[in-house]
Amino acid sequence: MNARSDRLPDAALRPARRAFLASAAGGLGQIALGSLLGGCAAGPGASVAGAAPSGPHFAPRARRVLVLFQSEGVSHIDLFDDKPSLHAHAGKELPPSVRGSQRVTGMTSGQGSFPVVPPLLPGKRCGQSGLWISDLMPHLQAAADELCVVKSMHTEAINHDPAITLLNTGNQLPGYASMGAWASYGLGAENADLPAFVAMVSQGSGKNPGQPIFSRLWGSGFLPSSHQGVGLRPGADPVLYLRDPDGVARDQRRAQLDDLQALDARHAEDVQDPEIAARLAAYELAFRMQTSVPELADLRGESEATLAMYGSDVRRPGSYAANCLMARRLLERGVRFVQLYHRGWDQHIALARQLPNQCRDVDQATAAVLKDLRQRGLLDDTLVVFATEFGRTAYSQGALGDPSSGRDHHGRCFTMWLAGGGVRGGFEHGATDDFCYNVASEPVHVRDLHATILHCLGVDHERLVFPFRGLDTKLTGVEPARVVRAILA
Amino acid sequence: MPRSFRRSSRRWLAVPVALAAAATAPAQSGTVDFPRDVRPILAAHCYACHGPDAGARKADLRLDRREDALAARDGGAAIVPGDPAASALWQRVAATDPEEVMPPPDAHKPLAPEQKERLRLWIAAGAPYAAHWAFVPPVAAPVPSLPAADAPTPIDAFVRAPLRAQGLAWNGEADRATLLRRLSLDLTGLPPSADEVAAFVADAAPDAYERAVDRLLASPHCAERLALPWLDASRYADTNGFSIDGGRHMWLWRDWVIAAFAANKPFDRFLVEQLAGDLLPDADDATRTATGFQRNAMITHEGGTIAEENLVTYGVDRTKTFGEAVLGLTVGCAQCHDHKYDPISQREYFGLFAFFNQTSEPAHGGDGGHNAPPTLDVGTALPTGEEDALRARIAALQAQLAAPARDVVDAWVAEQRLRLAARGKGLALHRCAPTTISTPNTGSGFRIADAQYAAVDRPMSALAFDVAMELPATSSPITGLRVVMHADPSKPAEGWGWGGGKDGKRTFALTCLSVSVGTVRSDQVNLYGLTPIARVTASSWQESNDGRDRPEGALDTPAGSGWMPDIAAEGPVHLTATFAEPLPPDARHLTAQLHFGRWGELTARRMEFFAVSGNDDGTDLPPAILALVQYDGPLPDAERQQLAAYVARHAPALELLRVALKNAEERLAVRTQKFAAMVMDTAQQPRPTHVLHRGAYDQPREPVAAGVPAALPPLPAGVAADRLALARWAVDPAHPLTARVAVNRFWQMLFGAGLVRTPADFGTQGELPTHPELLDRLAVDFVRHGWDVRRLLRQIVTSATYRQSAVVDLASRARDPDNRLLARGPRHRLPAELVRDHALAVSGLLVRQLGGPSVNPYTPGDPWREISHFGSSPATAQAFVQDHGEKLWRRSLYTYWKRTLPPPNMALFDAPNREVCVVDRAATNTPLQALVLLNDVTFVEAGRAFAERIVQRAADDDARLRWAFCEATSRAPAGEDLAVLRRALHRERARYAGDPTAAARLLAHGEAPRTTAIAPAEHAAWTQVATLLLNLNDAVTKP
Repeated sequence: MNARSDRLPDAALRPARRAFLASAAGGLGQIALGSLLGGCAAGPGASVAGAAPSGPHFAPRARRVLVLFQSEGVSHIDLFDDKPSLHAHAGKELPPSVRGSQRVTGMTSGQGSFPVVPPLLPGKRCGQSGLWISDLMPHLQAAADELCVVKSMHTEAINHDPAITLLNTGNQLPGYASMGAWASYGLGAENADLPAFVAMVSQGSGKNPGQPIFSRLWGSGFLPSSHQGVGLRPGADPVLYLRDPDGVARDQRRAQLDDLQALDARHAEDVQDPEIAARLAAYELAFRMQTSVPELADLRGESEATLAMYGSDVRRPGSYAANCLMARRLLERGVRFVQLYHRGWDQHIALARQLPNQCRDVDQATAAVLKDLRQRGLLDDTLVVFATEFGRTAYSQGALGDPSSGRDHHGRCFTMWLAGGGVRGGFEHGATDDFCYNVASEPVHVRDLHATILHCLGVDHERLVFPFRGLDTKLTGVEPARVVRAILA
Repeated sequence: MPRSFRRSSRRWLAVPVALAAAATAPAQSGTVDFPRDVRPILAAHCYACHGPDAGARKADLRLDRREDALAARDGGAAIVPGDPAASALWQRVAATDPEEVMPPPDAHKPLAPEQKERLRLWIAAGAPYAAHWAFVPPVAAPVPSLPAADAPTPIDAFVRAPLRAQGLAWNGEADRATLLRRLSLDLTGLPPSADEVAAFVADAAPDAYERAVDRLLASPHCAERLALPWLDASRYADTNGFSIDGGRHMWLWRDWVIAAFAANKPFDRFLVEQLAGDLLPDADDATRTATGFQRNAMITHEGGTIAEENLVTYGVDRTKTFGEAVLGLTVGCAQCHDHKYDPISQREYFGLFAFFNQTSEPAHGGDGGHNAPPTLDVGTALPTGEEDALRARIAALQAQLAAPARDVVDAWVAEQRLRLAARGKGLALHRCAPTTISTPNTGSGFRIADAQYAAVDRPMSALAFDVAMELPATSSPITGLRVVMHADPSKPAEGWGWGGGKDGKRTFALTCLSVSVGTVRSDQVNLYGLTPIARVTASSWQESNDGRDRPEGALDTPAGSGWMPDIAAEGPVHLTATFAEPLPPDARHLTAQLHFGRWGELTARRMEFFAVSGNDDGTDLPPAILALVQYDGPLPDAERQQLAAYVARHAPALELLRVALKNAEERLAVRTQKFAAMVMDTAQQPRPTHVLHRGAYDQPREPVAAGVPAALPPLPAGVAADRLALARWAVDPAHPLTARVAVNRFWQMLFGAGLVRTPADFGTQGELPTHPELLDRLAVDFVRHGWDVRRLLRQIVTSATYRQSAVVDLASRARDPDNRLLARGPRHRLPAELVRDHALAVSGLLVRQLGGPSVNPYTPGDPWREISHFGSSPATAQAFVQDHGEKLWRRSLYTYWKRTLPPPNMALFDAPNREVCVVDRAATNTPLQALVLLNDVTFVEAGRAFAERIVQRAADDDARLRWAFCEATSRAPAGEDLAVLRRALHRERARYAGDPTAAARLLAHGEAPRTTAIAPAEHAAWTQVATLLLNLNDAVTKP
């Protein structure tokens, strides 16, 4: 075969080609992983559509974000938003004037009675700020002065799929990019050798299995897929496909990559394709990741004191506590956006049995990650968001007092809190009515939260856009969204 | 016909002006051209507030229509033709006062000086408007005249005339090997073999290329290749998408698509059948199956969702998909308000929506793996002619299994005897104290009883119970777990369970047992750290029922199989699981999840748990077989046959045969039987459609009849406005969009980018065509020749433009990095599916079966269960079950697509999750892709299989390396390449010769049988070389 015979004479072009390859590759091995994985404008990985905007629009208050996403709807009433009137009306019918005529889910729309249920356990006013937090969260009570509690969150969505999708991607329908993907697209990676966006999933103890979650929650939607969250998993394969196959040693792999580079670099001279250089760089980064990621995921270097702070669950790989500690390790290495997804908050039934378990999962580790970040000087420029897709009803789902009773979904008002970079600690924003049923003041929509998170990162949500299907698409969507300035420090 | 549809003799309304040269200005001829130079500015910077959307319009000013822009307003007009200074538009655009200037600063859409200048020149020239190009039907422009040598085909003339006018060169033809590789990957998605390349390179006949084109176009794999982008556009998937994302069965529709492309069904008919195949006068099963296109929409069965909301969501998706996939318009933008850029009002949007809002499809559906209605029982539309061969294969496999070789039987008996001899050795049982029991869907009816039992006090359907327990201290390692099922001591006659059974004695079916252990308590089994279970025995089981009730049924996730004791057994019954490894000594806590998943109250009543040390004293042999195994001496014929039959069903050595038989039987059923396909229909009482305020389902406004936007051609008079009318309207030769959109997609498949680079948006926000006359010429020609896809493809791939080399020097690339001028050939990364297909083809593993249900090849672990509703739902596709045998090596378009978690090795190569219509995949380049190609068992196994082919191909190393390199890349290795490969081979040989264990481990990847003709160390060394070749840039690139 003489396939090469009708090529251009190599010798004539070679010097120019070599120069070209060197410049395209930036010198093999020097290209940052972040530029390939997280995408940044200058990297060769940005040969995909839609190069990222460069850097923040103004001075950021937070350089990193940790989202502790509590999936399926945390009960704001039981944990954060107690009211005397709930106790006064315990067991009595929720006044129809409060309930109004808005829609409820198919799970309770047929109920004949809507009796008010006060919080499961008492709580207390905590810290200097006096924020009320349930006794179900004793560790969080001790961290109250770090928290910026927004009690007036609201969403139109009343079922998990659309509500979770809205909270995570800015739209109730699939097809949009997740918060972390936007951060990756807008700001790129801070640590060149780690992805800009890492996602971790844990099971809850309240209800297992919880409602399903979806890869679209950490997906890149219409953004280039290099911005999708990289899943970090417990066990021997922290990132899928990370381990060399059994029977292949590290030095063999090294030699194999050297061979690959020799073959492809020579071919690149023939075909003058800059993608080849970029791809070889990606292989080098993959090789480095095979060492750096297991090191990152190895908790053995953590002190006993640190482990104790997160609680015994931290020793269970894949637990919420272990993921919180992993999040701190990622954040301190400069990962831009870390998100945890913890399932099991869907207490339609058996609230009294399930909610304490669910709180036990998250209480100590959540407080610990705040404290850990604070101790290491990271909380000042790390924004922590304790997020959920909606709250739960003040009234009982199921007969009052039945051990199987619980609370239905409630999007008209719910509670989230933020902490750290850019927000006021020990602060409470917005309020609900006497029955924690409607927003009474300072409503904050999910898209306002998105605008605020981006603002803390130094990004104007109106200007972080990606052209798609004829529209300059934004995380905050097409409806007006505003930064909640009152909560900014 | 609306005004915008009149054919204009001056499509490119050009005004000669002297325009300052600007690097970004598309205007190169010194004219301001409204569609090219002005409308994009107005659309991007002005239309949001002064465009078609009446709701968002500011100052009652509209700039997208000339009569509005010129209309007298107090004190003047926005535009005074010929007089920029008198035009309010220019005054505001030129203003420097932030209060005055347009666009306002807070819109973040400032105009560049060059853009302002273009607006000024345009007003000065009389502010001529022209209809948006894509709303004007295409006209075939005359072919530019170029010497035949420069432009062998009309395509080349359209591409090269502008190049020549600009004094730019185009590239020469690619070398023949590259050409054949490009052509094969483009038309079939599979690489040419080294032999095919050699034959083609040696073929000196003048029509060699054309014959290659014809051969590839006639390949059945061409239909698979053409189906791939259409599956994206149609958001084809195997699960329902929303919420629990249970399984569905849409493969009959996929078969239809492949069949349609295989038969070269005219593309207009292809669209009509999918949009309205149920309404055609000659409707049949196949055309009705085609309407599954619209049933690919995501659905939900989640009980809490609101019916009206779901129905609107489904209709919205259908309307959007129709817009983007067929019309190339972002009609979805007009769901909540009038379109901001294109002439589609919200009312018109709901006119389109109304066509799709008339089916009987329920708001909730698709649970339990059952297709949501309306469905139709049909056979596959894809003829393959393999049925006779299948029947023969089944008969042969059955014969092989009917008479297992004597040595297989003997070996199995010897193995059983060894196992029986070790049975119960050192066995000790240590009771575990259960601490918690939980189940997801109820808060009562279960408890820990007497600190000893996990008790279920009432019947419950299909539930998983998680039981946490403390592990007792033991002197020898814990090797397993025993679960004992008791009857209620006060009602022993009622049996061990809550369902089924006989004569009042109730039973259970344990469909999945999962265990995790740790140093700390865990109420729930830890899905990230499940303890592998090697085998399982039970004190009693039902051997009948095809073995579905045997104890090993508790080791897999599907609810179809599970341990069910013999109802006649007396007293408690137990199951013993033996772990693959003894538990680590620091394991203090154990959590067991017991899944009683048959959805019929088949739960246990009272469970007791024991940690096991030593060997299990149970056996999985039924008593009769046990006796035969233990019988010393020759067995009589009847008993020997009985034993052989059992061996045929259970011996691991015959597993491959059993899998092959099962796959073949299933395949024959798929080929010959009917299955439920999801289709479209018209409800007896079609739902009325209303304009929905802000697009919200609960805010209906005025009713709307089905209809099409006024800016497009009208529906013919006197025709019922149903989906058939819509379909015929879309493919009417006078329609300005459909044919252009279609040819653009095929062009995109071949060149990596369309002539319009926004393939789903031909509207005013979309990009203008790089070669408008070519696009129109191709579209007109396509329609004129009966929407003949093969003809179109042949036209494109035989053009000199397509056949150009992709290799250019730095300067040329810098001048046109995205190849918009088409002065070089296409070169781009393969789509995800073809990356995997390439490895399968080169390795020889590829199973070239056409069509059929989706398959589940290798996936790391069970990623589905980690995010799904497994344990709480009868929905399917909640846990991943890998297939075996030929299903591991089917083409990737047959891989099961779970929308909430698509196959990770393809998602990492930019495959979409198929939740929504996608017509433009990205092509990223990430380290995670490198990890897939190097470490995913799919590709490691491909390396091992390729190595086998390499070694068997030739006798000496150099010949092998030459062939292997060409087989993997379609090019011959240079001397330097061979040197690298030789060195690698010698290095790996030395390595594996000195480490046989490593060789064995490497060769253990994958389930494809391994030849024993090659020594393991040699095979492992070649596997490494093969893997190297399968990681070359060529492996992921169409050259």
